[in-house]
Amino acid sequence: MRRARNLFRPVVIGAAGCLTAALLTFSAAQAQRPKFLSDDPLQREPETQDASKTQAWEIGLTADLVLNLFTKQGDLTANVRAQNVNTIDEVPDSSWFTNRIYAKPISIEEITRGPNTSDGPAPGKWTVIRPKSAGVAPGFTIRDEKGDTWFVAFDYDDYEIAATAVIQVATRLFWALGYNQVESYLTTIRPENVIISEDATMRAHGKRRRFTQGDLNDVFRRAEKSDDGSYRVAVGRLLPGRAIGGFRYYGTRPDDPNDIVPHEHRRELRALQVFGAWTNLVDMKAGNTLDMVQTEGNRSIVRHYLQDVGSTFGTGALAPRDGDEGYEYIYEGGPTAKRLFTLGLAISPWQTVDFEEHPEIGKFEGDQFEPEKWKPRVPVAALRHARADDTLWAALRVMAFTDEQIRAAVKTGGYTDPAAEELLTSVLIKRRDKIGRAYFTNISPLTRFALDEAGVLTFENPAVKAKLAEPPKKGYQTVWNRFDNAARTAQPIGSATPSQSERVQGPSDLPKTDGSFVKVSISALEPAHPAWAKPVDVYFKRAGGAWRLVGVERLPDA
Amino acid sequence: MLLGFSKRTRRAPREGRMAACLLVAGFCLPAAAAAQETRAEEIEKKQAEKAANLKPYEPSKFESIMNKLEESFASPPSGFYPALGSVYSGGGFTLGLGYRQFYARQAVFDITGFYSIKNYKKVEIATRTPWHMRGPVTFGLRAGWLDAPQIGYYGLGMDTTPDDRANYRLKQGYGGVNVGLRPTGWLRFEADVVYEDVKSEEGRGSAPSIETVYDESTAPGLFQPGAPGQFANPTFIHSEGTAAIDWRPSPAYARRGGYYGVTFSDYKDLDDVFSFQRVDGELIQHLPILRENWVLSFRGRVQSTLDDDDLVPYFLLPQLGSGRTLRAYSTGRFRDRHSILTSVELRWIPNRIGLDMAVFYDAGKVTPRREDLDFNDLESNWGIGARFHGPAATVLRLEGAKGKDGWHLVIATSAAF
Repeated sequence: MRRARNLFRPVVIGAAGCLTAALLTFSAAQAQRPKFLSDDPLQREPETQDASKTQAWEIGLTADLVLNLFTKQGDLTANVRAQNVNTIDEVPDSSWFTNRIYAKPISIEEITRGPNTSDGPAPGKWTVIRPKSAGVAPGFTIRDEKGDTWFVAFDYDDYEIAATAVIQVATRLFWALGYNQVESYLTTIRPENVIISEDATMRAHGKRRRFTQGDLNDVFRRAEKSDDGSYRVAVGRLLPGRAIGGFRYYGTRPDDPNDIVPHEHRRELRALQVFGAWTNLVDMKAGNTLDMVQTEGNRSIVRHYLQDVGSTFGTGALAPRDGDEGYEYIYEGGPTAKRLFTLGLAISPWQTVDFEEHPEIGKFEGDQFEPEKWKPRVPVAALRHARADDTLWAALRVMAFTDEQIRAAVKTGGYTDPAAEELLTSVLIKRRDKIGRAYFTNISPLTRFALDEAGVLTFENPAVKAKLAEPPKKGYQTVWNRFDNAARTAQPIGSATPSQSERVQGPSDLPKTDGSFVKVSISALEPAHPAWAKPVDVYFKRAGGAWRLVGVERLPDA
Repeated sequence: MLLGFSKRTRRAPREGRMAACLLVAGFCLPAAAAAQETRAEEIEKKQAEKAANLKPYEPSKFESIMNKLEESFASPPSGFYPALGSVYSGGGFTLGLGYRQFYARQAVFDITGFYSIKNYKKVEIATRTPWHMRGPVTFGLRAGWLDAPQIGYYGLGMDTTPDDRANYRLKQGYGGVNVGLRPTGWLRFEADVVYEDVKSEEGRGSAPSIETVYDESTAPGLFQPGAPGQFANPTFIHSEGTAAIDWRPSPAYARRGGYYGVTFSDYKDLDDVFSFQRVDGELIQHLPILRENWVLSFRGRVQSTLDDDDLVPYFLLPQLGSGRTLRAYSTGRFRDRHSILTSVELRWIPNRIGLDMAVFYDAGKVTPRREDLDFNDLESNWGIGARFHGPAATVLRLEGAKGKDGWHLVIATSAAF
């Protein structure tokens, strides 16, 4: 034993030395490292490595459900700042996300078109090339006469319109929010125009066999048939590239070299706490996502899609949503025990919600909706990590939707009853506003900072702009500093500057040389919203005779 | 802070190796980053580091097992499988093994064997299409043999006690055909024609054998007519037809909907000694309350032998007592030519996807005459139970029921009704 200890001693000492050296190097590097680098704020997340060797994986529904329901997946540390935000607290464009609404104007036409680039499948015969392999809704995959491949989803028997409509509307909303979406169209087919490819096979009872007319008939039998014998369908275009399965809402894909930020720390995934609440996207599982290996320039990258957002609003694929969806996970120990031991007398909030049900919409309401309490069916690691800065970021995007844009998105659902269209629109508007009220007030929401050449600072209070809150009674307070980027230190310039408006004249002695930085700490003083008093630190860099926003810090790391 | 400059974080156990990598990255990369002039270069370096250490995803054992179970459940493969079922009501805990071979598009050929702790046994060979017996048309053929050596018999009528128990043995070979039609989502027809070769014998077990306690007047059909001491061994062509309105989401588990059905049974004894006909009527209604927080479930069932002159053997008489009728009473505790049963349950739903609780009350009686089928002098029980279920099936039902015979524990793998 002693001999062994002696043998290992040099190794231990060596390791300790290395660690000490590494720590010293780390500390020195940290101290020397400027806060802002020359390309800050990054506008696009680089994907520098070739991902062509990334392999397909299959994430089983049951395993995914059980692991998320009964264990905490991903990082267990709480209050970790999103790791894919740039220095101005925004999410750069990436293979996950593209800045659209809020970041730039989106027209009604763009909302209506969403991810679509054509008019849908070519007219003529459709050839079934394989059955639907996932999900409970009836469907299959076809090739149209132009040779394009489409995924076909039907409304379930005796449940017309709802499922196919929701795919259209949700696809537009999530596209506008910035997610990669599948092109989706509404159309109709007749069974006589559907033929089966000789190569079409399906897996059944552990073996692969031919997909037959009987199998096709089974699909039609489960689908809702119109009076004229046709079937209304939602068709989604095959994505370009090679499908490699879904993504998890935690961890990284071990064989994708560009996937270096744990998914639970990606802001656009955390933000689904808010987007999910708005749209009631309860079925947030890996199986509803899809990663595609696509060629971009001279290399392959993995692009990440929220492939199936059809389980939204008030409906599932087969029937209206159960009342508890959006309110409780499918299993929660506390409520289960309460109901168990009180003979059901412990009433949960969802049991008294006054849903305005419509057969084409299902159960969806906005009056009693509480966004902070919304839950998907199963806990999602990324949502567990959502902080106030993440939810604010998301709420800004939800609130950026105008009534007209929401109406335009809903219109794409092809609802046959105007009352259904009106109901969905009005509920989305109500829920949007509740999201603004909830997430614009639990953290300072100030945004759109600019400092002009005359030293006038302007910003926006989105809560006030949306008329969800009164302007702060005691106004705004700004504290100005020179900022040494290399040393990461700030020196005050004058005293705090009060202002009643979102326009503040800065001190006269702001630095004038290119490459200099200023830091402005801005507070909103409103007793009704104490969270607004915590300042937002905003950094500007002088470049080319103008001030450029390079930093926004709203909520520091824990 | 930005794009991969991760803090040191505590990882879930299964992410252990990745955590170690991130930990190292957390220390080393910022230091290295000092050499980088741009944020993009920092990220590129991290991605290059990962590119040098790529590895394919390996599912955990748990994931692999769950994935296999998932596939087996949705579309089970041909081969051996653990069979769930029973040999005969009251047989106790039963183990089963099956072998199935799928063929054609949706058909299955199925051989099963069951054995219970009371030495009940059954083997059956069957084929059916579709294999899950759901769809507008179902068709099945089956043949088998069973042996139930200690079935309880307590005499006729309601004035019996547990001490009246005697045991009989049934051996039965059978073969038949079943056709089901569901022209709409809520309308159901079903027809069965089965050849049944029944042999009754002395009972086994701790209770006395039936012939030592009962005679032909107290156990009709105990012996072959004209052959005292020779147990009845009738051979039937048993035909049965059911018409029903059934709008429950699933017969095996429902919180809403109803079933209203009539079944006509014709037992044709090839020796024309024990031929008889019977009509069963059953109503089930589930009424959800407050978004299915509670469910009030009602059931009424009447079984009536049509011709008063027919000789119905004691082992085919309408009976009450079992985990699905009067739940505080042993299987076959009450038998006679007619029966009426009512049940009411108040269910509450602690968890919508897995657990129902229920308090219930059952009441019923058997009678020798059809005109006695009323609500007077019903035997009753009450109880409480838990049901573990999936979206469309009850997996396990545990109930304690209290009647005049005392407490009775029900362990079942099906819904009460």
